[in-house]
Amino acid sequence: MLKMLGAVLVIAATTLAGWVQARQYANRPQQIRRLILALKRLETEIMYGFTPLPEALIRIGEQSGGAVGAIFLTAAQNMKPPDNSTAQHALQLAIEAGWKATAMKTAEQEIMRQFSYTLGTSDRKDQLGHIATAVRQLESEEQEAREEQNRYEKMFRSLGLLFGAFIVIVMY
Amino acid sequence: MNPNWLMVFPDKLRHLLLKLPPSIFARLEEIRIREGRPLEVNTGGRYYFLTAEGGMTRDAGAAFRTDKQDSKHLLDLITNHSMYTMEEELRRGFITIAGGHRIGLAGRTVLSGGKVEYIRDISGFNIRIAREVCGAADPVLPQLLDFKHNSVLHTLILSPPQHGKTTLIRDLARQISSGTWGHPEARWPGLKVAIVDERSEIAGSMNGVPNYDVGPRTDVMDGCPKAEGMMMMIRSMSPEVMVVDEIGRPEDAEALAEALHAGVRVIATAHGSGMDDLSSRPALSRLLQSGFFQMYVVLRRSDQGLSFRLWDGKRRGVPLYNPGMKGREADA
Repeated sequence: MLKMLGAVLVIAATTLAGWVQARQYANRPQQIRRLILALKRLETEIMYGFTPLPEALIRIGEQSGGAVGAIFLTAAQNMKPPDNSTAQHALQLAIEAGWKATAMKTAEQEIMRQFSYTLGTSDRKDQLGHIATAVRQLESEEQEAREEQNRYEKMFRSLGLLFGAFIVIVMY
Repeated sequence: MNPNWLMVFPDKLRHLLLKLPPSIFARLEEIRIREGRPLEVNTGGRYYFLTAEGGMTRDAGAAFRTDKQDSKHLLDLITNHSMYTMEEELRRGFITIAGGHRIGLAGRTVLSGGKVEYIRDISGFNIRIAREVCGAADPVLPQLLDFKHNSVLHTLILSPPQHGKTTLIRDLARQISSGTWGHPEARWPGLKVAIVDERSEIAGSMNGVPNYDVGPRTDVMDGCPKAEGMMMMIRSMSPEVMVVDEIGRPEDAEALAEALHAGVRVIATAHGSGMDDLSSRPALSRLLQSGFFQMYVVLRRSDQGLSFRLWDGKRRGVPLYNPGMKGREADA
């Protein structure tokens, strides 16, 4: 009886782990897409709104919502007193603090980190160029993330269950 | 309570400045930051370098030097992290921050079609701290009254930079607008005043609202080119007195002539150390010859304070109306 209960627990645990992993694969392209949309909104704020960066980041942070939005909101917070960080430092700190809450990987993080170096430090035309570069790079990551999702999402979902079943069989 | 201009300094520099003796700190006029060179403060016509411990020295070798990181951080804070919102300011070479303080910039210019497009690699900063001195115009205003028309005379105020022109016309605008003429026989009420504030220095406007007291009947056109702004004001705001800072371009002279025909009194300032300087500047000399201005005020600042001299429209010296004021006797 006790063995039975253990078996159920093992299967439940591995299935759950498989689902969580699958969920990560599903979330990553979604969040990259959200990041791209946020950057495009930032582009509009810069090009047509002349919105100062802290305000623009708060706006796009609120619109994006979720873990991605939180990064922009933290960055805006870092730029204001008492921290008074530079735009670059503020965004980098926010990325370091908030990246773990997302499903995104280091490739995207690196793109954003590089993007932070030029944020707010040049004229509109230049800013536009840097945003476009970041968006392009993120789009190629998104492509890759989608392929991974197709390949691994279903697999991990069933693999969890199968792995649990395998352990149970070995135990018996 | 720290003054708001301190907020644009990175922590390191702010702490250094806060270590200054209060008497110096309260009288700071300029703070100059040059990348890789000593940090300098100017007060009352004197200059000091700051040491890393917050002391003051004249020895450039012992002074604290700012590095690239400092100027980058400073620029980021001055521009509110958004250089792209400052394209026009970068073309003109200065940025006005909250409180009307002006920050001059020097660096490498980028040209487009032979004109300055913007400044990049900015390495030199001059933070000019604006001060509101209510009463700065007390000795001057009684000299400028036009008793025949219950108004003020067309006036040109001349002085070299850093002698308090802007402070003076800000206070003139305030007193004309509120009708405190400082003369026992002047009993007419305040007049409608229009300020064309191209560099946001006179009124120190933020989001279109003046930060300084410029008087109850004063309208401010902020950040507007002077010539265009004067025309707009004449057309739309029916001013009785127009106040403009630093005229000198040909189109300014045209707009001034327009104001004259519209019956608007003008108080303007220009760079120059005396009446002789005027005739050597083409746009101004035309104004001079046309006899447009009825009164010229030449400011001079010394250790004792501000003094001034007056000339009338035909460039004859005018004696001061009330002796015992700060201004000393003009040549007869």
